[in-house]
Amino acid sequence: MRYPSAIKQVVLFALFLLQGFAVAQDFPPAPNPPRLVNDLTGTLSAEEVGQLEQKLLAYSDSTSTQVSIVLMGSVGPYDISDYAFQLGEQWGIGGKGKDNGVLILAAMDDRKVFIATGRGMEGVIPDALAKRIVTDMILPNFKMEAYYQGLDQATDMIFKLASGEYKADEVLSEGDSGGSIFFILLLVFLFVILPIIKNRKDNNNHMGGRGGGIDFWTTLMLANMLGGGGRSSGGGSFGDFSSGGGSFGGFGGGSFGGGGAGGSW
Amino acid sequence: MKKILIPVGIIAVLAILIYSKAVGTYNQFVQLEEGINGEWAEVQTQYQRRTDLIPNLVSTVKGYAEFEQETLTGVVEARSKATSVQIDPTNLTPEKLAEFQQAQDQLSGALSRLLVSVEKYPDLKANQNFLELQAQLEGTENRISVARRNFNESIKGYNSTLRVFPNNLFAGWYGFVAKGYFEAAAGAENAPKVEF
Repeated sequence: MRYPSAIKQVVLFALFLLQGFAVAQDFPPAPNPPRLVNDLTGTLSAEEVGQLEQKLLAYSDSTSTQVSIVLMGSVGPYDISDYAFQLGEQWGIGGKGKDNGVLILAAMDDRKVFIATGRGMEGVIPDALAKRIVTDMILPNFKMEAYYQGLDQATDMIFKLASGEYKADEVLSEGDSGGSIFFILLLVFLFVILPIIKNRKDNNNHMGGRGGGIDFWTTLMLANMLGGGGRSSGGGSFGDFSSGGGSFGGFGGGSFGGGGAGGSW
Repeated sequence: MKKILIPVGIIAVLAILIYSKAVGTYNQFVQLEEGINGEWAEVQTQYQRRTDLIPNLVSTVKGYAEFEQETLTGVVEARSKATSVQIDPTNLTPEKLAEFQQAQDQLSGALSRLLVSVEKYPDLKANQNFLELQAQLEGTENRISVARRNFNESIKGYNSTLRVFPNNLFAGWYGFVAKGYFEAAAGAENAPKVEF
C-alpha cells in the first residue's frame, strides 16, 4: 500500500506541474497592438479580417460595447465555454465596471464555437438568444465553410440586440481635455512663470558674475519651445488619426460571469 | 533612572510596532473575508437560479406522459435536499462546504440523468420551451462554474495570507480559520454517456 500511495503522490505532483504549464501557455496574450478581430489560424483572408475589424471598431467607437472575435486552433482540454470566459476575463474585453464585452470564440480544429457575454451584456443578450445566434447564423454558415458570412451575420444580430443599451461614453473626450488643460498649464509654467522667476533672479544678480546662468536658462527655454512645438504638432496628427477611425484603443478590463451559449458544427 | 528608561523605551517601541502590525493584519483579514463573502453570495445566487429553473423544467417534461417517473422524482428529491443545505458565510468551514457541495452535486447528477433520458423523446427534444430551458440551464451551469472558480481564487488568497508567518499567530489570536475550497465534482470525470 505504501508504494502506490507514494507513486500516486508523485503522479499528482507531476500533473499539478503540468497543469501549471497548461494554464500558463493555453491562453494567448492580449494582442499588441490591440485588435478586435484575432484570427490565429489564418482561416479568414486579410481583407475579411479588415472588414470585420472596421465594423466592430465603428460599433465600439459609437456605443463603447466591445465585440471581439477570436479564431484559434484548439482550446485543448478546456470546455470551450470555460476557455471563452477565462480568455475574455484575461484580455478584459469590455469596459471596466460596465463589463459590456462580447467574445465570439471559434476553435477551428475542435469545430466548436461559443459566444461569451460579459456581465453587463447578459441582460440584452440572454443565453437563449445567444444560443439562437449560434444555431441559426454561425453553425449553418460554418458547416459550409462560409466563416466570414457566419461571423458577419452573428455580429449584425448582436449589434441589433445590444444597440441602445450603452451610449458612447463621453469619458474619453473628457479625459483628453483634462490632459490638454494640464499641457496648457505646463506651457504657462514654462513660458510665463519661469521667465518671471528668471528675470527676478537676473535683477538680483545684476552685479553678480553669473553670466553662465542666463545661457543655461535660455537654452532650456529654447529647448522647451522646440519640444513643445514638436509635441503639439504630434498631438494634431494624433487627433486626425483617431477621427479617421484608424485603430482600436484597447480592451477596457471587462469581466465575464458565465453568460453565453455555444455549439459545434 | 536612565537605566530603567532605556528598556522601557525599547519595550514601548516594540509594543507599538506589534500593535500596528496586528491591526494591519486584522484589517487585511477582514477585507479578504468580505471579498469571500461577496463571492460566496454569487455562488449561492447561481445555485439558487438553477434551483428556480427546475420546477419549469419538470412541468415541461411532465407533459410527456410516458416520461419515466423515477427520473423526475429523482430531480425533485435532489432539489429539495439541495435547498435544505444552506451555509451562512460566517460558517464556511471545509466540512460545511463539502456537505453543500455534495447536495448540489447530487442535483447536478439527477439533472444530467434527466437530460440524457430526454434524448429518447424526439418530440420533447424539439419542444421550443424545453430548448429554451435547456439553454438557460446550460448558462446557469456555466455561471456556477465561473462563480465557483472566483470563490476558490479568493479562498486561496485568504488561506495563503492566513497561513504564512507571522500572520498565522495573529490569525490564532483573532480566531480566523482556514476556509474550504470547492473540489471538482466527485465522479465528474465519468459524466453520463448518451447511448443510441
